[in-house]
Formats: sequence, C-alpha cells, structure tokens
Amino acid sequence: MSITRHVSSDGKELIIAVHGKFDFGLVHEFRRAYSSIGDEKPTIYIDLRETEYLDSSALGMLLNMRKAVCDNVKGIHIINSRPEVKNILDISRFDKLFTIE
Amino acid sequence: MLQPAQQIVVDIYADESEFSRTVLAELKRLEIARRIKVKPFTAWRANKALVHPTIVISATDVAELHKSLRFPQQLLIVPKALANGIWQRWQGDTIAWPESVEVLFKRLQLMAHGFNTARQLNAVRDSLIWHTQRVEREHELVEHIFRNALSRNFTHYKHIRTLLTPASKFNGDLCLIAPGHLGNLYVLMADFTGHGLAPATGALPLSQAFFAMADRSVSVAEMVIEFNYRLNRLLPSDMFCACFLLELSANGEWLTYWNGGMPPALVFGSDGIVKHRLTAQHMALGVLTVEEFDSQVATIRTTKDDAIALFTDGVIEMLSQKREFLGMDALEDLIQTYPKRDDFNTLISELENFRGNQPLHDDLSLAILECRPTGLVRQQHDGEVEALPFTFTTELQADELKRIDVITAVLGIIGRLPTLHGHRTTIYLLLAEVFNNALEHGLLGLDSRMKNDPEGFAYYYQLRIERLQELESGSISIAVRYDHAQNYLHFTVRNSGRKWEAPALPAIDTTHKPYGRGLDLLQKLAHDLRWQNQGREVSFGYQLTAG
Repeated sequence: MSITRHVSSDGKELIIAVHGKFDFGLVHEFRRAYSSIGDEKPTIYIDLRETEYLDSSALGMLLNMRKAVCDNVKGIHIINSRPEVKNILDISRFDKLFTIE
Repeated sequence: MLQPAQQIVVDIYADESEFSRTVLAELKRLEIARRIKVKPFTAWRANKALVHPTIVISATDVAELHKSLRFPQQLLIVPKALANGIWQRWQGDTIAWPESVEVLFKRLQLMAHGFNTARQLNAVRDSLIWHTQRVEREHELVEHIFRNALSRNFTHYKHIRTLLTPASKFNGDLCLIAPGHLGNLYVLMADFTGHGLAPATGALPLSQAFFAMADRSVSVAEMVIEFNYRLNRLLPSDMFCACFLLELSANGEWLTYWNGGMPPALVFGSDGIVKHRLTAQHMALGVLTVEEFDSQVATIRTTKDDAIALFTDGVIEMLSQKREFLGMDALEDLIQTYPKRDDFNTLISELENFRGNQPLHDDLSLAILECRPTGLVRQQHDGEVEALPFTFTTELQADELKRIDVITAVLGIIGRLPTLHGHRTTIYLLLAEVFNNALEHGLLGLDSRMKNDPEGFAYYYQLRIERLQELESGSISIAVRYDHAQNYLHFTVRNSGRKWEAPALPAIDTTHKPYGRGLDLLQKLAHDLRWQNQGREVSFGYQLTAG
C-alpha cells in the first residue's frame, strides 16, 4: 500500500497519500489515484507525511497529474512535507504550480 | 411434645451450685438438643467467641455477667429471686427458673436461631471485608496501569482546555492528545458504552495504538481503520466505542476529522458563533468489520481565532436539579457566552451550577482546542555517536542491476553516519539522479525527450523495465568517500555504457517540463558537480552539517 486515497463524503476533497519511496515505481498506481475525481471540482491534497524518499520522476508525476486534472479541480495542495522534501519542492519552484503547506 | 431444638448442639456453662445441678438435670431430661456439652462456669467470658448456641446457668450474680457480650444471642438461666437484679445489665435473654417447658423450648429456639443468624451475618461481613480489600487492591493495580498507559497524554498542550469527570472511579471516556512529528497535533475523544471499569479496559489498546500511530504522524483515516480493527476483535458485541478523532495541521489552518457516533463537535470563532457542527457520519468503532468499515474523513479550514469544542454525550445529557437535560442548544449558548480561552473555568462553573447536587449518570468530558499554529518542535535526533572516515566502492554488473535496489542499498550503508539525519532524503535524491542517469542513458540508451507527454512518460519507465530485463553486459560503479574532518561526502558514479552529453547548463526553465528537473536539482543541491569521460563518469560532493 504505497498510495492511499480518500475522498471526503461530500466529494469535495481528494486526499492522496504516498508512503515510503515516491518514484517511477508508482507511476501507474499514482495515475490511478487521480483517474476518477468526480464532478464536484474537488481540491486535491497530496499528503507527503510518510514520503521519505523521492526523485525527479516523482516531480514529473506530480506535473503530469497537474496537467491531467487542472481544469477539473479547485486546486492541488501538497501537504505535510518533511523539511527536506519541502526544500526539494521549493528548489524545483513547485510553489508556483501547487499550494505547498 | 415439643422438640424444636433437637437439631442443635448446645453448650452449657454452669456453676457448682445446687440450682445449676437441678436445671442441668432438667434440661438433659427434656433432651433440649441433639448434644449438650457442659462446661464449668469459670470457663465462660463475656467476650468469648462462641461456636454453638450457649446457655449460661448461674445461681449468683457475678460481675462478668454485666459486661458487654461479644455474642448477645445467649440465654442466661437464673433463680427467680435473682432475675430482677440481673435483667437490666445482662445483654442477652434471661429465663427466671423455673419456667414452663413450652416457654423454655420457645426461648431456646429463638436464641439458637438468633445465634445462627448472627454467625452467618458475621461470616458474610468477613467475606465482604475480604472482597472489598481485594477489589481495592485490584483497582490500585489497574489505576497504576492506566496511569502508565496515559502517561504520554499531552494534556499540558498549551492550546487545549479539558474537563474530564468520570461518573465512577474509572473513566469510560477517553481524551487523548499527542503531537505528530510534523508539528501537527492529534486529539481523540472517545466514549465506550457504559461506565466504570469494564469500558475503561477498552481504553488501553486504543490509547496504545493512538500514541504509537501519532508518533509516526499516520493519517486520521488510517488511524481509525486500525482502531476499529482492534476494537472489533476485542470488544464483546454489545460494547462499542463512539470516537471523534481530529488532526490539526502544524500551521493550525486545517483540521481533518472522523466522527463515529459522537455528538457534533462545534467549531466557533472568537465571537463564539458556531461556524461548523461536525456531525457523526459513521458508526462507532468496534461495530463494523474491516470490510464494512468506512474510514472517510472530512477536512475543514480553520484560522488562529477558531476553536473546536469536543464533548461526550455525558455533557449534553447532564441532568439539572430539576431533572432536565442540558441539551445541545444550551451548550452552544454557553460557548457563545464564554468563547475566550480564559472563560473556560467560568464555563465549567456554569455547567456545575446547572447540575447542582444531581449525581453524574454518565462520564462527562469536554475539551476545547484552539486552532492556533501548534508551535510544536519537530523531534530531533541527537548525533552523539562518533563517525569514522571511510571509503566505499561497489561495482554492479548487469544481473545485479536487475535484482538490487541500488540506491536504497548504498544509502543503507552510509545511513549509519550520525550526521546524516536531515540529509538522508536529499542524498537519496542526488544518488538517484546520477544513478538513474547512468542506467537509463548510459546502459539502456533511453531518451528523456520521450517523457515530454504523460503517455510517453509512462512508456519511458515501461521501456526502462523491459530493457533492464534484457540487459546482458555493462556495469555501474559507485564510490563514496567520507571526509571526517570536513564532514563531507564525495560521490563518483561511472558506467561502462555509451557516451552521453549533459544538456548545456544553465538549462532552459524546466519548471513546467516533466523532465530535465533531475539535472537542475543536481546543480542546485550538490557541490562541485563534474561530468567526465564523455558523460560516463559524474562526481559531486555534499556538505553534511550537524542534524
């Protein structure tokens, strides 16, 4: 269970949590997690609290997700990043594309 | 002929007088008991513990007869002339001899009955004392276990106020608070069915799971799945646990919750006006099986001026002196009147005034959490262990590259460095970039431009898997050198594959492109990045600082 997915009961939030290592090994699983997002224009929360490692393929996957869903969501938030992960997101200027909390 | 006393054994204490001999002979003749044991009067004491119904025969009034009797259920037989004098002071029954046979038997029977009843009562009392002591001892043990189990409860967190009042000695309500390692905060309020020791027992596994999972900053949904699994297996089917679990983010701006069978938690602003009522959307914990259980959480935005009130039904179902329920509306009114942090004690007094002298019928718990930035420091690991300077080299052939997760393995080896804490994720990233570059471009001949669109992106990694499986020759070597004096790591990664040219740097703005970001990160996070031998060798340094 490297990726867990929870939709709020009103359909307005989709939380995708990535556990352990976030890299190309999750490419299909990650795409599946946002493949059906409903008609409620939800906000997507990518919860990285349990993401210990990531590489540039993870960043690519996040960008592809953004490209795929940006018209159908209210926003994409990246939440609970560890300090090192947050530093990597900042260096890649992801704050311009995502809401990082 | 009356023979009511035939079943009993009677002890008779008689003095040496002629009177006593006459009475004794008469009693024996009447066969007042199945067995009569005659003992000398001198052996009798007022405080004697008696084992059988007892008759005392005395021709004279002696001081011992005036003392307080340990067993008042005994019969004294004296001559008529003596009876009036002794009547007042002797605590038991008295027969003034001679007496008719009917009366004698009746009195004997009453005395024996009283004696037996008193003896049974004493036995019951003794066993009750024993049980009470035993229960007290066991309660002490259980209290000790509870104290230890809840010793980690973060009730002194500065932005929470709590009122926890059990209806009996043990609390079937549970209010747990724990920090996560992301600066986030978890609060759990739970109410087991019933109150007293039995429901409190369920608190043990729940609290243990809560603290362990909070340490790992596990999400609310995963926590409730685990809680439900444990309680479903553990609790009898008529017992369950209503539960409200929330997580407040480190900045206090969002609150995730799961409510199973608890009254709605109230989110209110500084004016006390209720903004949200977080009603239960789920069944209580311990009811549903893993397959049936719904872990869906909800999230709301909060500000630093907001607060959330969590409470068990014991609060709203509290009875007043007029035996009326407090109710939700009254509680909301109270919160609106006393919304401030410093008002909490007044709020409590208002609740106590409402209850007056009515006893509590259920455990009662109320917690008010302010949604401020938690200000909780992240847990720091201390790096007391002394490190050694070292070098490490490995060369991986095609079949090893297929089998081994190389980067994780290398990180596992250097991961023992005490100063690595706080750098592990970054070093993983840097190693992953140079290693994947060597493998994907050097050995497998993949072209990053393929990753330009989402389909190509997935296809690229599909190809990587396929080509790696087919790889027959080629190798990648990794060398790590740790300079102890400078606390500096130096990495070199070589591959035996084709030449490769790193794109000219500074590269174009890669922010929006799904590839090329790895090189950009290498440039920014690594020291002294160098490509050599036509792109087949790359080296870089990394400065560790104390974690």
